[in-house]
Amino acid sequence: MRARALLLFALLGSALLTCCGGKTAAPAKAGALENAYDYETDWNDGQRIIPLNYQQAQGKRIFYQQCVWCHADQTPAGPSNRSNVTPSPPLWNDGATLNPLSDDYLGKVIGQGGSAMGKSAMMPPYSNTLTQTEIRALIAYARAIAVPPYASPVGKR
Amino acid sequence: MLQQIFLGDPARRFAWASLILTISLAVAPTKDFFREWRHYQRQYSKFIRNRPDAAALRARATTGIHQIWLPQLGVVDRCTTCHLGIAEPTLAGAAVPLPFRAHPVIPHDPEAWGCVVCHRGQGSATDVAAAHATTVAWEQPILPGRFIQASCGTCHQDDLPQAPRLDRGRELLARFDCIGCHKIAGVDRPAMLGPDLTDIGTKVSREWLYKWLKEPRTLTDANGNQTVDGVDTGEPQMPTFRLNDVELRDLSAYLSAQRARPIQPYRFDPRVVATLSKRKDVVDQGEARFRQMFCSTCHSLAVTRAGETTLIGGDIGPELTKIGSKVNPDWLVEWLRNPQQYLRHSQMPRYEWSDTDLYEVTQYMETKLTDPSLLADVPHWGSPTDAEVAAGRRLFIDKGCASCHAIAGVPPQEDFGPDLSFLGARNVSQLDFGAARIPNTLIAYIQAKISDPLSVNPMGRMPQYHLDQESLDDITTALLSLTGPPATRGMETLIIARPHPEFHPAGEFGRLYEQYKCYACHQFNGFGGTLAPDLSYEGSRTTRQWLIQFMENPQTLRPTLVLRMPQFNMSEREAGVIADYLEITMQSPDVDETLDPKEFTPAMAAAGKELYEKKFQCQSCHTIGSAGGYVGPSLSDAGNWLTPGWIEAWLRNPQALVPGTIEPKESFSQQEIQNLTAYLLALKQGGPASRAVTASSSGGAK
Repeated sequence: MRARALLLFALLGSALLTCCGGKTAAPAKAGALENAYDYETDWNDGQRIIPLNYQQAQGKRIFYQQCVWCHADQTPAGPSNRSNVTPSPPLWNDGATLNPLSDDYLGKVIGQGGSAMGKSAMMPPYSNTLTQTEIRALIAYARAIAVPPYASPVGKR
Repeated sequence: MLQQIFLGDPARRFAWASLILTISLAVAPTKDFFREWRHYQRQYSKFIRNRPDAAALRARATTGIHQIWLPQLGVVDRCTTCHLGIAEPTLAGAAVPLPFRAHPVIPHDPEAWGCVVCHRGQGSATDVAAAHATTVAWEQPILPGRFIQASCGTCHQDDLPQAPRLDRGRELLARFDCIGCHKIAGVDRPAMLGPDLTDIGTKVSREWLYKWLKEPRTLTDANGNQTVDGVDTGEPQMPTFRLNDVELRDLSAYLSAQRARPIQPYRFDPRVVATLSKRKDVVDQGEARFRQMFCSTCHSLAVTRAGETTLIGGDIGPELTKIGSKVNPDWLVEWLRNPQQYLRHSQMPRYEWSDTDLYEVTQYMETKLTDPSLLADVPHWGSPTDAEVAAGRRLFIDKGCASCHAIAGVPPQEDFGPDLSFLGARNVSQLDFGAARIPNTLIAYIQAKISDPLSVNPMGRMPQYHLDQESLDDITTALLSLTGPPATRGMETLIIARPHPEFHPAGEFGRLYEQYKCYACHQFNGFGGTLAPDLSYEGSRTTRQWLIQFMENPQTLRPTLVLRMPQFNMSEREAGVIADYLEITMQSPDVDETLDPKEFTPAMAAAGKELYEKKFQCQSCHTIGSAGGYVGPSLSDAGNWLTPGWIEAWLRNPQALVPGTIEPKESFSQQEIQNLTAYLLALKQGGPASRAVTASSSGGAK
């Protein structure tokens, strides 16, 4: 008799347990850098680290191969070619200049070159050298490092 | 009493039993209804309800458990049950809450590949904690995004520029000679890891050995921080072994007794010594010569400016800031005359020295590149005793020194440490954390093993590395990617074995190629260094005369370059042999060798000048004379330097000749290519041709 009662209580108890138990605390929220694919230091503020996603990270890689020579004041080789080029090319983090320009427009200037878009011929066309994916990545990188920060048209709405 | 209420009579018993049975049966459906993933799916439909794209999103959102099954990879992945928007482009951006946000752009389709292939974690779990938990010893804890490139490396075993952290980590694994003690599948042991120590006693003193073994760093910056030894990561290749004083005494005794071949001091021409020893500027002359020969292309020197010490120069060879306090002067002279006689695998070229140069440069190194206080705190034990030497030899074997260093009478110790080929797939339960107070994760374990190995295993023999956090994360990423052979046979096509091609030309060129170690910096047919241009097509690119002049007096074509080709002091005959070999053998099939410069008329050149300066504005990157940019090489002497066939082929498609070159590929017409080629061929420094172009430009523009 007692054994049967115990059995019943045990059944009830285990049913309750399976219903409510088994949950543990969700993992702590990690910092933005902890989950960043890559990162870039703010060009104007060495203390500020900008997390980059995959696409922005590819843009950074291509930028430092192809574009850094004229669109930054410091290059992996040391001096920049920016001062040799007139009109002076915009810095790639220059949000004041680049933020108002659409992704589509920037993509055309990069792909077809400055002269095709009524700008300086000193900007060569890159559509034969870079893929559309790479050009999009370059623009995503510019948006990520922009100072003042870039707000996408979707975000503004 | 209780028994009476519940079990008083059979009817009561039956009623209670039925009630309990009904509740028990209801548990499963109730529990199912309150499942976490149903909660997220309800949240998702609420979230999309008021969006403008609600209809489209709802049409694609199916309820129930979602599953991505990749039998070839052994992956069952139910993450999309809650991560409902990963493939919805309209749900991109930080404004969309997790877990509904679209996956950021990546080269693989997340819907086809699932999540755990990259993120790890429990793909088959359907509640958050079980799928994500990193603290419990799951077989596959989720990988923090910082290390996600490790997953790229489990399949992509060749270089992967898209994954910079993984690439750098792999470089560090090679740089720090991890392969000396550990086996890593797919990585071969190089011919030489650490230097051969067979004659180390003739090179350095016992005191220097003591200092090096204790703390293998030779520089101290203005803040008293010990820094670099030729490695820009701040870590010398030689790790710290944390030896006690007795061990240091014995090992330094053993090593300083290694002098199989004594040094015969070189006999300088007495007249040279007599003349130079009287001159006061010998050291200055030596320094000037050291600079002119571009020793700094491979060797760095510490330079202190405004209180900050930085290394200037390359890292192919060791840093030389304190070399004068390190090596025996007689050894230095012999080394410079013939490095391979001391160290067979050395990449140092054998320069053709005149006695004057050799005397001046060694005087400079012994006088200026010194640190009088380097060995100040080192005990002086005098000559090694037999007992010390014997104890030192035992230590040398016990500490695994022979894993990286060859020494007479000690067999090489391969696979001294554990095999790392499967490290990235190790279960946390298989790791021994000892008394270390660190999170029980594979990542924490790897980082502790590298930066403080004794904390994990006080009896371990693993030496200590002092990496900064970024380098530590990079090398951890590379180690996490080592999960053994990829999970499926179908993936093998993705994997390109690391290339091990060798290029050993024969004959007179082969001898010079070895003497000047051309391959330390240049690539030949896929083999060699990457510091300097690939010479596989050099014969198609350059004229023989230019090559000879360049080798006799290397002037860089790129004014901003810090690391330049050293001056080897080679004879004209040697330069001719090398030029002939390159011209005949190192050819590109894409370059038309038969093009005759005479086919290009001054009129074409004038039209080309117009294109160069106005339409395409090549001067933004290239210099002619003193004007222009310095992204590309100077074209001032292009007519003497380049062949017409090369210029044409280059203008058509630069990347076909030099993959990865940053000159953009334009869409020039054939006419434009010919005119530009004509213009570049007319550019000759000091030659009459440049004047000819200017003279004819008025007529040629038509």
